[in-house]
Amino acid sequence: MNALVLLAAILFILMALIGGKKGVRSFLALFFNFGVLMITVIFMNDPNLNPIYLTLIACVAISGINLFYINEVNSKTKTAFISTIITTVILLLFIIVITDKTMIQGFGEEEIEELGMFSLYIGVDFVKIAASVIIMSTIGAITDAAIAISSPMREIYFHNPNLSRKELFASGLSIGRDILGTSTNTLFFAFFGGYLALLIWFKDLHYSMGEIVNSKIFSSEMVTILIAGISVTLVIPITAWITAYFFVKKAN
Amino acid sequence: MNLILNFFKKMTLQHKLFYIILLLCFLASIVFVYNNYTFYERPIVKVIEVSLEDETEMEDGLENKDTLFTQHIIGEIKNGEEKGSLIHLENEYSSSKAYDYEFRVGNELFVTIDVDNKGDTELTGTILEVKRDKYLLIVAWIFIFILLIVGKKQGLYSIFSLVINALILSYALDLYLDKPDRSLLMICSIGIIFFTVISLLLVNGFNEKTYSAIIATLLGTFVSLAVAYLVIWLTAGEGLRYEELQFITRPYKTVFMAGLFIGSLGAVMDVAITMSSSIFSLFEKNNKISVKALVKSGLEIGRDIMGTMTNILFFAYISGSIPLLILYFKNASPFGFTLNMNLSLELARALAGGIGIVLTIPIGLYTTIFFISRKRARL
Repeated sequence: MNALVLLAAILFILMALIGGKKGVRSFLALFFNFGVLMITVIFMNDPNLNPIYLTLIACVAISGINLFYINEVNSKTKTAFISTIITTVILLLFIIVITDKTMIQGFGEEEIEELGMFSLYIGVDFVKIAASVIIMSTIGAITDAAIAISSPMREIYFHNPNLSRKELFASGLSIGRDILGTSTNTLFFAFFGGYLALLIWFKDLHYSMGEIVNSKIFSSEMVTILIAGISVTLVIPITAWITAYFFVKKAN
Repeated sequence: MNLILNFFKKMTLQHKLFYIILLLCFLASIVFVYNNYTFYERPIVKVIEVSLEDETEMEDGLENKDTLFTQHIIGEIKNGEEKGSLIHLENEYSSSKAYDYEFRVGNELFVTIDVDNKGDTELTGTILEVKRDKYLLIVAWIFIFILLIVGKKQGLYSIFSLVINALILSYALDLYLDKPDRSLLMICSIGIIFFTVISLLLVNGFNEKTYSAIIATLLGTFVSLAVAYLVIWLTAGEGLRYEELQFITRPYKTVFMAGLFIGSLGAVMDVAITMSSSIFSLFEKNNKISVKALVKSGLEIGRDIMGTMTNILFFAYISGSIPLLILYFKNASPFGFTLNMNLSLELARALAGGIGIVLTIPIGLYTTIFFISRKRARL
């Protein structure tokens, strides 16, 4: 039996047992997200389409699935959705500059040996692809942070309807700070785990400090980790502000 | 300006000192990285003139159209014996830039200088690598400033947590690589205990919520590792393609398991601490709350987080494969083969991590309830 199928089956059973209907929806959401990702990759093969726009569309679809399908359409998920999209756009602008300057696109000299049989002149802009990889790696975490802030903010506002916009914003920020540590940890360890083989390899090659820091693979990993940290931090004030803006305006 | 001054006045002495030291570190490191040429042994060249020499449209055998460019670069050598002299370099790049670069004035490059210039006045050389340290440092400082401005104390702890955990990981790998007969999984297991204790204490401080979360994290991680092990053993690893790991000269299956183990740790910690702090806060609001009510609310909380948590891991793992997927597709590789070659390990990691996340929900729930009943017994 295929190991992946068995793992997926176990995950499904556990999610259904512990999470009930919502667990089943969460599991299906993984599949839908995989579908969105695959469709995006297939469209990225067309050199005439800009990968950045494709990534933005994919991010809208993914955060829609994560927020509206797993949860439901309500004021919490709507503000979380808007915040996710705004954060994604701001980050993309930043990431495009960074990927252009650091030149971390494509493949490193360490990887290229394995790819010898492939034609690398395929007409797709790998600089833009690099930008979209970074944002896609963090989109799950951005949506998670957005809903984790907007949802308790609504509870707070529900219990204290006299709060001013500024006060609600402040409580949103403080909720955000409380989850900051765990969200960044989740991402850091995910990347550490994913890069473990490369780390071992770097150590085996006995690169000097200067060679490691300037190599394409190491730089792109570091940039991904750092931007992931920036993303889950930046989403905090944005979500707090958007949520405060919409909720308090509604009451007036 | 007044705003900044007011902000500065409101701060305590400690804060002022902290920000001043931080600012000095920032300035010193930026000055250093802009002038660190002499610290490198390899010659560094700063591009001062670029001219496009040639431009050819090309098509590979698979109907992929691309354009090849040839650049002539004149650069100034910034270090070593030839410091200050000009060097001429040739650079070829494509519009897709998968394994080449388009250089512009101001870029800095590592090069080798050709030695066979017999009496020539012009130095020539070959480009080795781009100098990236400057930009890496700038991104790192943006990271530090954003985390501090938005996260304040918690932001500072997150930075500490990243640095400390990276150092532990690096040290653990050194231990393994020094004596490869040591078991990597054993080293990682010990490492995981350190990671968990340090990260959770930094995130949440010394209290019962943290202790409960630490125990739940360790239980959750080891149980999910056991499940992953069992599955791979039962299926004899069918469907897992280790080709992408075969570049390392180490037992790559163990390396994969260790990566899987560490990768899900952060997410499992996140679930464990969410479960323990929310259940504890229910108990703190109402001392007499029944275990049954705690279980019910606990499961409710778990349900709310399991979907988004599994998605975080999913995207963090899978997205890195996008460039390879595109390369395979553009080289007319069949769909199934491409996915199998490039995604099987990432999917296994994401699924195993998901199992860890979901299992930690009941584990965290009952560990916390155990801590609460102990506390009750003492009251």
